Amino acid sequence: MYKGSLFTVQGSEQAIIIDEAFFLLTILGIPVFALVLAMIVYSLLRFRANNASEEDAKPVKFHSKWAWSWLAWSTVLCLFVIVTPGYTGLMDLRSTAEDTPDLTIEVTGQKWQWVFKYPDQGITLIRKDEVLVLPNESLIRFEITSLDNDVLHSFWIPAFRQKIDAIPGHKTTLDVTTNRIGSYEDSTTYRVQCTELCGIGHSTMATNVKVVSKEEFAKWVTDKQN
Amino acid sequence: MTGILPLIKGLIFAAVGFAIGSLAALGLSTVTPQALKEPLITLGYLLAVIGWLMGVGMWRTWGSEWFGLKPIVHDNSGRWKRYFRFTTDHKVIGIQYLVTMLVIFLLAGAFGVLLRAELADGPQNIMGANDYNTVMSLHGIMMIAVAVATLIGGFANYVLPIMIGAKDVAFPRINALSYWILPPVAILLLATPLFGGFDTGWTAYPPLASQTATGALLFELAFLTFGVSSILGGINFIATVVLLRSPGMTWGRVPIFVWSVLAAAVIALIATQWIAYGLLMIILERVVGMHFFNPIDGVGGSALLYEHIFWFYSHPAVYIMVLPAFGLLLEIISTFSRKPVFAYKWVVRAFFAIVFLGFIVWAHHLFVSGMQESLHGPFMILTELISIPTGVIFLSALATMWRGKLRLTTPMLFAIGMVLNFAVGGLTGIFLADVATDIQLSETYFVVAHFHYTIVGGEIFAIFAGIYYWYPKITGKMYNETLGRIHAVLMFVTFNLTFMTMFIPGSLGMNRRVATYPEELSDINGLVSIFGYLLALSFIPFVWNIIYSLIKGRKAPSDPWKSKTLEWQTSSPPSIENFETVPTVTGIPYGYGDPTVVHVDVEKKGNR
Repeated sequence: MYKGSLFTVQGSEQAIIIDEAFFLLTILGIPVFALVLAMIVYSLLRFRANNASEEDAKPVKFHSKWAWSWLAWSTVLCLFVIVTPGYTGLMDLRSTAEDTPDLTIEVTGQKWQWVFKYPDQGITLIRKDEVLVLPNESLIRFEITSLDNDVLHSFWIPAFRQKIDAIPGHKTTLDVTTNRIGSYEDSTTYRVQCTELCGIGHSTMATNVKVVSKEEFAKWVTDKQN
Repeated sequence: MTGILPLIKGLIFAAVGFAIGSLAALGLSTVTPQALKEPLITLGYLLAVIGWLMGVGMWRTWGSEWFGLKPIVHDNSGRWKRYFRFTTDHKVIGIQYLVTMLVIFLLAGAFGVLLRAELADGPQNIMGANDYNTVMSLHGIMMIAVAVATLIGGFANYVLPIMIGAKDVAFPRINALSYWILPPVAILLLATPLFGGFDTGWTAYPPLASQTATGALLFELAFLTFGVSSILGGINFIATVVLLRSPGMTWGRVPIFVWSVLAAAVIALIATQWIAYGLLMIILERVVGMHFFNPIDGVGGSALLYEHIFWFYSHPAVYIMVLPAFGLLLEIISTFSRKPVFAYKWVVRAFFAIVFLGFIVWAHHLFVSGMQESLHGPFMILTELISIPTGVIFLSALATMWRGKLRLTTPMLFAIGMVLNFAVGGLTGIFLADVATDIQLSETYFVVAHFHYTIVGGEIFAIFAGIYYWYPKITGKMYNETLGRIHAVLMFVTFNLTFMTMFIPGSLGMNRRVATYPEELSDINGLVSIFGYLLALSFIPFVWNIIYSLIKGRKAPSDPWKSKTLEWQTSSPPSIENFETVPTVTGIPYGYGDPTVVHVDVEKKGNR
């Protein structure tokens, strides 16, 4: 529905879902803020006291119907937002949970870099300056953890929007459905950024990401295996 | 010089306590494999705090009683000296809190400026990574302490007993204890750079918090101490409001500020223990080697457990911060619109709805933590429901102003600013309550902008409204109104420029708690930094005003604002007993425009 984004590049189907949610909330929020602003501005213009006068204002008689009406409208708006984008967004993001992924990657966070293992291809990216290469138009499942005795990290690729913590002793999963070719060379949002404070190297705990066509990906895999 | 003798005694007794604690630690070190340093610091600190408290006057006024000696309980002598020792008068304690919190606020603000200086461009140039993390963590925890303690420990302490016609709080000695526990907190925090820094952020998640430099231990001890102060304050204010209201002050005639403090005190009393246990578990991990949050060889626990226990307190904590701010907002709007608080009963119900709901939403801080999926939906729904009672507060604020006779004094300007700021803060919270958008926005500068809007734009603006509103009552002098208005407008404009702009790098993929970031975000960050410097500068007229007016300000009448609550029916500043005779309350405190509604019986009330 909504093309383009406040968040720059939409590198995954999940990004489109999340950006639509953001857009909807913004559209709903603007009239609420406008109402508050309008009432304040109007009050400031129309109800200012003449500074010399110290008289009271006439108390507005309280009719509970105003309070009930305000309560009703705010409840309706709240429930609407809970249903969409709340519930619908959540369901959309979970829709790939039962699908078999096209590619599984095991991610291990440690102070202060990411290590990536492609178990089906027998490849491991150990060095911090390696690029995480991914195929386009694929469902990729990341299985994420932190080294035992290490600390909490968090796995986030801004272009894909998806984010989840890496916890020592636990495995967390993240699904990404890539939908465009792109790389860190054209946008810094194509990076794996650690987003849980993990000590001195936290700011620079990042790995560059590249999404290539399926053919190019197959070629890259073969190269790496040799 | 003799005035600060209690402080010196406090430090000496603290040193003695530390020495005794260290001996205990030496004994402990023979049975645990841990290194000596941290048990020594912990046990030494514990006894040092006790020594400090006894030295500053708690022995003289209270402790000696436990040993059968005669204490000197209520000593309010010495116009200046009583501020530098354990004094039980709630007005003295309120001022002690206010001055201390203001100093911490300005210092933490200076740290914030340092952070913005580093963040003004991409590369790391001003501080090393560890220093940046320490400054950032200190900025956070110091501001959290200010946000939790100022409205209750400072303003409610000074004003609330007078507002309900009481002579003091229910437990004056506990009140003094709540304050005197705070200097050790400040000392510990400011000492962290000397112990390797404190690089975990104020959230201090394990395993990092258990593994990192000793500065983190000092933080844990400090926060734990601060929690004790908060719990004691909770007990005190609940007892005070329930038991010490003036004759005739039925629940329906209680000022809305008092209700808001009661609600916040309930949270402080019930929620704080949880963070205390969480912090204690980390201390035990560090000092004794336990494994609550570390999965060692299958005999340990999980870091996720800490996150739950931490946020179980820290989410209700933000309502400790904001409920008294809402209460104060409505008092000020009512006074300066010369109209009663609209829908008073609804507002009281909304306060307690927020107290209740506030306890069952904490896991919205854990949406990306890896906690089980089934919790996402329920917590999202409960979090979004809080917007409903919050909306009732907005209804009251806006409808009280509507058709009022608005006087745009400095407190009123801050109050109006608060309504607009909190509207932005509250609405941006919905983006974080919604799981889908939270996945992208969590741990980014969007969150930082959101909570600065609610806490600074909301509560800190209320604090400044309160400072100007009650300055005449507390000091007996009028502040300079022109300078005050300049401060209000400048602060509102620069605050909004800084934090509205900050939403942009957050949305563009800049995560938080970093000193370096992608180059292309330099320009927008540079802009945020410049606005931030201007915000810092906006405090200059404020500091000048409050100090200059103390010396040269016009003498304040007892009721400069023609307000109706009880604190304005006695002298500025009030006498030690607050009222000459106990006031009898005969109506609500919002009788604007209706001469038949009289709050206090004129014949019988106190000093005029």
